[in-house]
Order: sequence, then structure tokens, then C-alpha cells
Amino acid sequence: MGSLPFTPSEACSLGVELELQLVNTRDYNLTTDAPDLLRRLKDTEGLKPEITQSMVEINSSVHRGFDTLSAELHALRDALAREARRMNIAIAGGGAHPFQQWSERRIFPTERFLSVSEQYGYLAKQYTVFGQHIHLGCPTGDDALYLCHGLARYLPHFVALSASSPFYQGVDTAFDSSRLSVVNAFPMSGTLPWVHTWEEFEAYFDRMAAFGIVKSMKDFYWDVRPKPEFGTVEIRVCDTPLTVEKAADLAAYAQVLARWLLAERPALSQDIYLIYSYNRFQSCRFGLGGRLVLPGETARPTIGEDILDTLRRLEPHARELGAWGALGRLAADTSRGENGASWLRQAFAETKSLSDTVRRQSLLWMESRASEPQPGDS
Amino acid sequence: MSELFFLPSFPPVFNGLALFGLILLAGLAGGCLAARTRVLPKITGYIVAGWLLGPGALNLLGQDLLVEARLFVDISLGLILFELGRRLDFVWLRHDRWLLATGAGESALSFGLMFYVLGLFGIPPLQAAMAAAIGIAVSPAVVMLVAHEMGADGPVTRRLLALTAMNNVAALLAFTALLPLVHLSFEAGWLTVLLHPLYRLAGSLLLGAAFCLLTLRLARAVGKQEAGQFILLVGMIVAAVGAAKMFQLSVMLTLLSFGILARNLDRRRDLMEVEFGYAGQLFFVVLFVVAGASLQWVPGAMAGAALAMVAARLLGKSAALLVIGPASGLSLKQAALLGAALTPMTGVALGMAQTVADIYPDFGAQVSAIVVFAVAVLNLVGPVATRLALRAAGEAGHENERRW
Repeated sequence: MGSLPFTPSEACSLGVELELQLVNTRDYNLTTDAPDLLRRLKDTEGLKPEITQSMVEINSSVHRGFDTLSAELHALRDALAREARRMNIAIAGGGAHPFQQWSERRIFPTERFLSVSEQYGYLAKQYTVFGQHIHLGCPTGDDALYLCHGLARYLPHFVALSASSPFYQGVDTAFDSSRLSVVNAFPMSGTLPWVHTWEEFEAYFDRMAAFGIVKSMKDFYWDVRPKPEFGTVEIRVCDTPLTVEKAADLAAYAQVLARWLLAERPALSQDIYLIYSYNRFQSCRFGLGGRLVLPGETARPTIGEDILDTLRRLEPHARELGAWGALGRLAADTSRGENGASWLRQAFAETKSLSDTVRRQSLLWMESRASEPQPGDS
Repeated sequence: MSELFFLPSFPPVFNGLALFGLILLAGLAGGCLAARTRVLPKITGYIVAGWLLGPGALNLLGQDLLVEARLFVDISLGLILFELGRRLDFVWLRHDRWLLATGAGESALSFGLMFYVLGLFGIPPLQAAMAAAIGIAVSPAVVMLVAHEMGADGPVTRRLLALTAMNNVAALLAFTALLPLVHLSFEAGWLTVLLHPLYRLAGSLLLGAAFCLLTLRLARAVGKQEAGQFILLVGMIVAAVGAAKMFQLSVMLTLLSFGILARNLDRRRDLMEVEFGYAGQLFFVVLFVVAGASLQWVPGAMAGAALAMVAARLLGKSAALLVIGPASGLSLKQAALLGAALTPMTGVALGMAQTVADIYPDFGAQVSAIVVFAVAVLNLVGPVATRLALRAAGEAGHENERRW
């Protein structure tokens, strides 16, 4: 057995992590209530501290499909929202806080977080950004690596659909997702190496460990990475969406895509990594309107067009997984050109105040209801 | 005319401007020294500096100059009471019903214990009740400024400010409710007995509400620009203080209700959160230097009673929090620290005592003697207690700062 044993898990099983912002109800700046909120909810499964005291993380359990995942996320959301109201704080989705000053953040005093802050200095505090991670189960390490490479072409979809951090440090960045640029500053960000078998990957990891650059998989801040101890592939490019429903819809899309990739096994081309940063930039900067370069194709569709195209192609798989309703909602948003960033810009245009924008953002996150099942479901 | 008419008289007479500068510089020096200790809040430095300059020591700030400084003090109190009122959010009271119970409980229990203890010292019931009512109130200025100075944020800080707003309202209500009894004991006419408290209470609330509605309307006109809203707020607050005095209403109740309503009636959120910042700091320094200068360390016959009242007050507030706090989801540690943080008592208490003394000098003098000594003690103990409690709660933003 190698240095990084891959724990097999059920193909296309599904899990979600959501990092959430805690804000006060006065000026809606970040507040430091995570320790108290977690103490009050210590009997609730699935809640975790994150690096700063302004953040809590929801961890779903493992699911086979959209319905149970959505139900669990809504239940966790309700528990958090109820306790937050008793504390007079609010909880919001979104990839970044629109106007917090990073220098004011406090690091959560657990050993790992303190050592991260020691190592990265101001980057650690600047990393007060909020993401959604989607875990997809894989039976083998080789499948996980195939899935990582196969998903690379589609990651801009996830960036554009989830993008909800147009404002950062008090200004409109002109990006739909400003959060991902923060991740770029870390030395181990980027993409995984072009390897295809788990043995090759372990050899790569051993060399990096021998250099002393990494100690565990946690030290790679890649956009998509295998997570051998869970037996999953983890998509890390999403901003935390403005509603839990959107988070569940995105997870459903990832699950359907993974099922299609593992079933059809389209040929991989290393060219995807030549164009990867270009496409990623397009999705962060322009959202659904960004233009994609695709390996072996001359057309340059917008990300929105490419999403609609892909969703159509996935319909049979989506129906089998009971996720067609979720994909339908994503398609509707995409054809309207709407994502979290456009919602936030609209809120700011109406209120002319970033505080009030966060207020609306928190009400949306704490109160939104799951939509009615659509005719195409099941 | 003397040929040397152009020379000033000797010694030169202090005027208002020189006074303002002197107070600020003395406060700055005191604040810096206090900050060096890392235990004392800056406020303690302002108070001690004021005491050194005041009639109690060097007498650079004499009684007449203190009267001149009154304007600055009123403005600072106005800013603080308004801001404190804005920390009381009715939506919060609805979602955590135990919060209102906590506020009512700590006010009632501390009142009861203070009243009982003062009785043991032979203070007549009406005077004891009056002093105990005044003692319910926690100093808004101290808790607001200590929290601000520390950059404190978190569950204990948030509750501290909300409870302070509540117990100030409770103190004012109790005080006003006792007024008719005082009038009766002096055989005042029925018109006075009934109308005086009613006028104070209803008048102050109405005035606060009127200022709130006008401010919200103007804020909408000004729009979401911070500079404009800052000037609007300071203008309305100072005008509200002036109007309350003009109509002989309670400045405290007017400004508190102005602030509370501004938080809770602003459905469209026209009013921005405004930091009073450096400009506010100037007024707050003056407030505490003057408070220090006005300190009277005349222990006298009432010292024992006053000390016992201070102890009963702390006990009442802490016990209520330890019993009711956990129902609000507080840990016992948080509840205990919150009780300690509620220690400060300052100027507004003196104001209430003065209100009585203005009407019935002899009766008021007894109440004052107790309150003044209690305030003197708590001026020194209170800010330190609040600071240490917030620090122990881990909510001191600026102090947990790591090296980088």
C-alpha cells in the first residue's frame, strides 16, 4: 500500500461543505460570534469552526441524490437561523463580505488555524472568503484522477453559476467572483499534475512531501482535488451561493456531470490545462457572459451558452438521478443571465448601501424556501 | 484709563476656549497613562485627570468653569444615549424572549436588594427607594466607551449594551413612578402629584418620537451619504437635548426613546449607521474629565450606606443574570462576566438625584449624599470591571490582535 491510501466510496455519492458569513444586525459587518454560535448548537451534527471567528461551516452527510441533500441543508440552515436570531446576529451566503476590512478579522484559536496564520501572514486573514465545496464519491483513485481532469473543462460553469462576490473591501471589483483571485495568492493553488493512475499520484505526493513543501493533501489549494481519506473528488471553485437551494442545485449538477463523465469517458486532452487559467479568468471576471476557449473547437461560446448546451446533453442522467428539477432551475437562471453577483449588484443599486445589501443577502439566506417540485422531477 | 490697558488682568481669566483645550489635553495625558497600564481603560485616566484639575485637588477647574463645560457634557450625553438606544432591537426581544426577562429581572432584583440594604442603614423608605431606583441604571457612557475603546464585539458586549438600555429605561420609569410619592409626602397639590410624572414621562416619549420621525424623514432626503447623515444626526441629537431642557423634560428619556425608536421604526432603513469617530471622541473626553472634576470624596455619614448599596447592586444584577441568563443560552461564565460588566454608574445618576434636589432640597440632599458617594466609588471601579469582564469574555477585538 502506498503513502496515500484511497478509501473507495460509492460512485457519485454526494456531499457539500458551505462556509457561511456571520454578520451583526447593526451595520451588517462581520462579527466574531462563531465560538458562541457553535457552543449553543453543540448538539447539532454537521457544524464546524473555520479559520476566522466570523465564519461557520456546514458539512452535509453523504447523500445519493438531490432530494435528501436539499432537505438536510435546509434543516441545518433552519437550526442556524433560529439560533442566530436569538443571538441578534445574521447569517449570509455569498463568496466574500462586501465591505469587511481584512485587518480586523480574528483567527479562530485552534492549533491548525494558528499555524496557518503564522505561515501565511496577511494572506490568512485575507482568506476570509466563503466557498462551497462539493464532494463526489469515487470507487478508485484512478477514477478520482480521471474525474479531476474531466471536470477541469467544466469548472468555469461552477464559477459562473455560483459567483456571488462582486464586492470586496468596499468596492465593486467588476468581477463576478472576486473570491477566487484571493485563492490564487497561495503558493499551492492551481491545478493537479497530469497524472492518471493513483500510483503516479502517490509518487508525485511523496516527492512534494520529500521537498518539505506539503505535509498532507490539505496543503494543496487546487481548484479540484482528490480527497483520498473520503474517497472523493472535491470541487472547490464555487462561491457560497446566496441560498442553500442554489448550493444543492450546484451539487446536483456536479453529480450528474460526474456520472456522465464516468459513464461516457470522453477522451482527455492535456490542452485543457493550457487554456484553464484563461477560462477561469473569464468566468470570474464576466460570469455567465465570459467566453470559453475549448480544446479542439473553433467556436467560442459564452459560458452561459455552454452551460445550457451541457445541461441538455445531461438530461437522461439527470432524470435517472432525480436531479432534473435542480438542473432546470440552473438552466432558467442561466438563460436569464442571473447569478448571485447580479442579484447583489441589483440590491446595491436599489439600496445604495453595502450594509443594506448584506442585510438583504442575510434575509435571503435565512428565509428562502425550497421551491415546489417541478413537473420534470423524479 | 490706565496706560497699560492692553495688558490682561493678573492672573489672566480662563475663558471657555482655553478651558476646552485644557480639558482635552489633560484627558489625553490621563488616557495615555492609563493605556500604558494595560489594565485601566482610558476613561479611568480621563476621570483621574479631571479629579486632579478639579475642586478636589488643584482647583484649576473651579465650580464656575464646570458649569461652563456643561454644554459639552450635554452634547456628549446626548450622543451616547441616542447611540445606546439604537442598540435595543425589538426584533431581538421577540426572538429571545428571555432577554427582556433578564433586563426586567436584573433591574428588579438590584432595586429590591438596594432598597432593603439602605433600610438596614436607617434610611427612610422613600429616600431609600429613590436612591435604589437611581441605582438601577448602568452608566451608558462607560459601557459604550469601554466597549468602543476595546473594539469589543460578541455576545457579552451586545447583551451588555441592550441590558444597559433596558435598565436605564427601568430606572427612569421607577424614578418617575416614585415622584408622586415624594410629592405626596410633602403634601403637594393633587395637580402636581399626578401631572408632574405624567408630563415628564409622556412628554419625553413624545418629544423623542417627534425627533425620530423628523430625523427619518430628513435622512431620506439626505440620502445614503455618510457625511450628510453624520451632520444630520449630530444636529438632531443636540437639538433634542436642547428641546428637552427647554420643555423641562427628561433629557435621558427623550434621547433614549429617540434612539430606540430610530432603531425600530426605520423600516426602510433610511438612517445609516454613523460612527461618531474622532469628533465624538473629543466630546467624550470632556465628558469624563468633567465627571472626574465633579467627583466628591466626602465620605460623611452616608459612606457606609453607599458602599452597602454598591455591593447590593452588584449582587442583585449578578444573581439575576446567573439565574435567568442560561435560559437565554448564555454560559454561566458569560452570565457572570455580564453581571460584572454591569458595574459602572456615573453622571446620569447624579442628574436624577439633582432633579429631586431641585424640587425638595432637603429630601434631595439625603438621596444625593448616598448616590454621590456610590458614584464616586463606581467611577473608579466600574470602567475597570467592564473592561476586565469584556476581556475575559474574549471579546476585546483590539487586544487579541496577534503580532502581525
